[in-house]
Parts: sequence; C-alpha cells; structure tokens
Amino acid sequence: MDKIYINPLPVRIWHWTNAFGFILLIATGLQLRYLDVIQVMPFQTAVQAHNFVGFVLIANFFLWLGFYLFTDKIKVYHPELSPAKYFMASFRQARFYGYGIFKGEPNPHHASAYRKFNALQSMTYQIIMMLVVPIQFFTGLLLWDVARFSSMVEMFGGVRVVDTVHVIFFIFFTGFIFIHPYLASLSHTPWAHFKAMITGYEEVEDE
Amino acid sequence: MGRLIGRLCRKGLGLASMVALVLLLPAVAANAEENTLSKETTACLKCHDKEDLTKTLENKETLSLHVSTSAFIESMHGKTDCEDCHSGLDAKTHGKEKASIASKREYSLSLQGSCRECHKKDFAKYEDSLHAALVKEGSKEGRKDAPLCADCHNQHTLRSVKILGPIAATPCAKCHEEIFKAYSKDVHGLERVAKGKSAPICANCHQTHDVKAASLGDGIKEACLGCHKEAVKEHKDWLPNAALHFEAISCPVCHAPGAQRRVNLRLYDEVSKRQISEKAGDPLFKKRTDAADLKETGLNELALYNLLKEFNKDGQGHVVLRGRLEVSSGVEAHQLADKSKAIKDCNVCHQAGAQPFQSVVLTIASPDGRPLRHAVQKDILNSMLATQSVKGFYAVGSTRIGLLDNLLIVVFLAGVGGPLVHIVIKWLFRKERRKNGAAAHADSQAQPGDRRADDASK
Repeated sequence: MDKIYINPLPVRIWHWTNAFGFILLIATGLQLRYLDVIQVMPFQTAVQAHNFVGFVLIANFFLWLGFYLFTDKIKVYHPELSPAKYFMASFRQARFYGYGIFKGEPNPHHASAYRKFNALQSMTYQIIMMLVVPIQFFTGLLLWDVARFSSMVEMFGGVRVVDTVHVIFFIFFTGFIFIHPYLASLSHTPWAHFKAMITGYEEVEDE
Repeated sequence: MGRLIGRLCRKGLGLASMVALVLLLPAVAANAEENTLSKETTACLKCHDKEDLTKTLENKETLSLHVSTSAFIESMHGKTDCEDCHSGLDAKTHGKEKASIASKREYSLSLQGSCRECHKKDFAKYEDSLHAALVKEGSKEGRKDAPLCADCHNQHTLRSVKILGPIAATPCAKCHEEIFKAYSKDVHGLERVAKGKSAPICANCHQTHDVKAASLGDGIKEACLGCHKEAVKEHKDWLPNAALHFEAISCPVCHAPGAQRRVNLRLYDEVSKRQISEKAGDPLFKKRTDAADLKETGLNELALYNLLKEFNKDGQGHVVLRGRLEVSSGVEAHQLADKSKAIKDCNVCHQAGAQPFQSVVLTIASPDGRPLRHAVQKDILNSMLATQSVKGFYAVGSTRIGLLDNLLIVVFLAGVGGPLVHIVIKWLFRKERRKNGAAAHADSQAQPGDRRADDASK
C-alpha cells in the first residue's frame, strides 16, 4: 500500500467543521420545527445556536471556496475537462455501487492527489457545494432577519416560499448525513477514508 | 403681658388678612371678569337654570332644558353666548311659541353645524372617522346610536381636556361598555386611576375625532410605540427576528396573556401599501366569499387561491394576503397585563397545534373602514397548496407544511434504510464475492500487476 497526501489541512479543517456544524444545524433545525415532538433545548436557545452555527458555516464555506480558487487543487473536481468521459465514469461508478460491489468487482476509481473523487462523487459535491449549500446559507440568512431582508424575501416569493426551500434542503442534508458516512466506509477498509480525512494521507492499493 | 401678646397677635392677623386681600384682589377681579356672562346669556340662564325645565318632544322623549349657570361658567363654552350655537332661535318668539322638535337625536343632529363653525379641524377629522361613517349609515338604515358631537361632549358643562376627570366619566364607555370595563381593570386603566394622565385613556390610542377601526392598519401599534419608545429596542435584546414579530403580531397577542388569538389574513395592495377596501354599494367581498364557501365550512386552499385571483383582476395583480396574529375581540385587546406577565415563552406559538393558529379569518376593509371577515379553514396554514396564497405568513413550527414532514420521514428512512439494505445485499452476495475474489487472486498470480477485487466487500 502506498500513502498519498490527499486531504490538505484547510480541507480537513473545513470538512470537520462542516460535518459537526451540519449535525448541529440539523439537530437545532429539528428542535425549531418539531417543538411539539421533541424538547431537548428551549426554542430560543435553538434559534440562537442555529444562527450562530449557520454564520460559522458560512465563513467556513468561504474557507473552502478560497482554498480551491487560489490553489491548483481545484483540479480534483475536474481532472479532465471531458463531459462525455465524466458522465460515463459517473455511470460506471453508480453501477459499481449498485451492482459490481456485491459481486466483488474492482472499484473503477483509482485515487490520486489530483483525482481524489470518483466522478459520481465529484459531480454530487459540485452540485452540493456550488448550488445546494449556497442556497441553504442564503435562505438561512434571509430567515435570520426577515424584516432586514424583506425586499429580497419578497422577490423570492415571500417568507413561506423561502422557508420551504430552506426546509427542503434541510431534509436533503438530513439524508446526506446518513448516506455520506456509509459511502465513505466503502473503501478498501471501512475506516480508510475516515483516517484520510483526519491525517490527510490515504492508503492506495498498489497498481 | 398675655393681653399685650394677644393684642399683637390680633393686630398681626388683621394685617395678614389685609395683605392677603390686597394680593388676591386682582385674581378675584379677573375671575369675576372671566365669569361675566353677556346680558343675553344671563337672560337665557335666568330661565334655563331650573332643573325641572324640560320639553316633551314629538317622539315623546323628554329633553332637559336645564343649563347650570355655575357649570356653564366653568365650562370651555363659558365665554360663548347661547346664540352662538343656538342661532336658529328667535328671541321674540322663543318660549312664547311652541317649537317642534322631532327627537333628541334630530335635535343633536341639527346642532352639529354649530360645532363645526368653531371646531373646523376636529370636525373635519370627525367627518373622516368611523363614528361619522356610522352616522351616515344610520341616516340610511335607521341606526340611531352612532355618536354625534353631543353624545360625547355635553356642550354646557364640558371642561378642558387638561383637567383630569374620573375615568368613569369617559364618554366612550357609554357605547363601548364591555371594552371600557376590561380597560378599567387592565394595566392602563389601573395606572390611569393611580397615576392620572401619565397613563393612557381611550383617546390616547384611538384618537379623539379621527377614530378608525382598531383592527385595521397599524395605527394602534404606532400608538403603543408612541409611549413605549424603548419597546422595539428592548424586544430586539431578547427576541429573535424582533422586527418581523412587530410586523406580524399585534401587541396584545403577547401583552394580554389570557386572550384568545387568531390569524387575520388581510387583503392588501402591494403597490399602494394599503389594505384593500370594498367599494361603497358593491359588496364584492361578501358575494365572492359566500360563493366560494357554499358549505360555510371556511375557505379552503383552492377557494382562497381563486378568490385572490378574482381580487387580482380588480387590483391589477397586486393583491396579496398579509397575515397577522391578533386577539379575537376588542375586549381582549383591552386586557393588557403588566409587562412582567407578558408572554415570552416561544412555545405558545411555535409548535404544531398552537392556539393562535386554530382560527383564521380573511379580512377586507368595508367602505367605512370597519373590517369585513370571512372564516378560513385553519389547515391552509399547513398546506403546500396554499404556499402561494399565504406566502408572506409563516411561523416556525406551527404553520409548517405537512407534506414536508412526510418527505423528511421518507428521506430519513431512505438515509438509514438505504445503507442497511446495501449491507444486507452485500452479505447475501458474500459467497459469490469470495469466489470471484479467489478467481481474481488466481489470475493476478498468473498475471502480476492486475487490479484485485475490492476488499471492502469482505
């Protein structure tokens, strides 16, 4: 097994801040929405915690964005600018998770420093990081002080519409928080990807 | 010695009395001058200052003709001559020929013009008020209790508003009895009795002459904030989204803790920034709401959507619903408690089934400014289909969309169940994977450098 430095420090800081932050946002979000079902903390505390963590994660998002914009690591998302290859590789990866993995077929993706994501992962993360997360932060910001952003809230269809979008993505992240660690465990060992996100180094199989 | 002291004291007292008399003389003289009535008025009062002086009107009502001279002199009209207001009377025939008056109401109506002569500004405000609208309505529909000047002000005894009278003497109490009872027991009423003018009475919040329907517009909230100037800042210190709360919730909702609350969806013009009003003689609101709610169970999502569409045809697409939490009645709006008892518990509103969201009404302003209401089914607040109709009204927890709750359950089950199903399938295929792994191992032994099967499947 070789070891490659796959997760630089800023990425690891961003990742774990994001991970714990999203868990807190989901927990406090559940508390805000389902006060009649669960009462772990007072509503007001949940609001304050939700707002605070939200702002931390907005700042954290810019850490991530800055890192990828100002380093050549942005290549990890697009090692090759070939949409056809990209979609084919995504399809192969989906087939692997849905079929090949059961039969013991080899993982079609081979990680390297500039190819750390498989195509499916890369596509999903780009949609999440460039669309879902910004929308979630933006709607969260509008809901943080609706009166302050009233003209923008109106422009997007009113507070109920903005909240509905925020809740739909909250539901998405609730699902993501379960699926993501499971997929991360489907490496050559269940803990390999987790270790890599802590130490930065990932063990890759010899070619 | 004692006699000497006694004499000196008497002299001293006498001297003091003289000094006091000299000092008070101008004041007494001035008062006497102020209280001097004209010859004509004195002549009127000669007869009218008799308590038993009455007149039987055509409708058999008894009109008291008594005017107390002393009360009149002390009144704000003390310097006014009787003729100034009663200009229609002919001194030659008055009291000699029988004048015909239909009723007390008709007599008060006939004197309204006299009030206008001097009180032009206040009268103009009054004419624009809900009270004047009721008077106009009264002339058509026989409503005889709408207030005229004389119903609130006794012209012969009225004192300066600067003089603090007992709260029971407030004329509003005559018509708004239940509300006044509630007020007299609430924090403002009790404070008024204890501290006088520093606490508000009816006119301080509802204005004296340009009285409007309290449930329309933001007039009353502005009245609250007019005195409680620090309120916005104080709320911001602890209340998240304080500005939104101020916009969407009327003050008594939290400050009258025992009140019943409801959601009021107001038809509102986004361009003119005003509530929509019915046009006089064209009761569209009633017609449309009745047609949309034949079973009288309240408007549902579809009915509300269609109704908005119809109003938007008239309003060129600018009509929206603006939701607001308010208390259910005027009496409850006057049950304000000390601020230490105000509701600060978010749970009261922010959970499913919260009381304030159990009743929903749709409102439009009638031509005279009073609200016209129609019931709306409370479920619309939790319906995805009503998202567009009530797009501007949302309370976290209590008005959440039910469909999204179901979606969350599905996604949660998929998030937990998906990996479990995957694990089970992997386990079921374990033998085949082992077989394929062994074959791949054998191949790689034969051809070193080939990729091996993924060990994760183990």
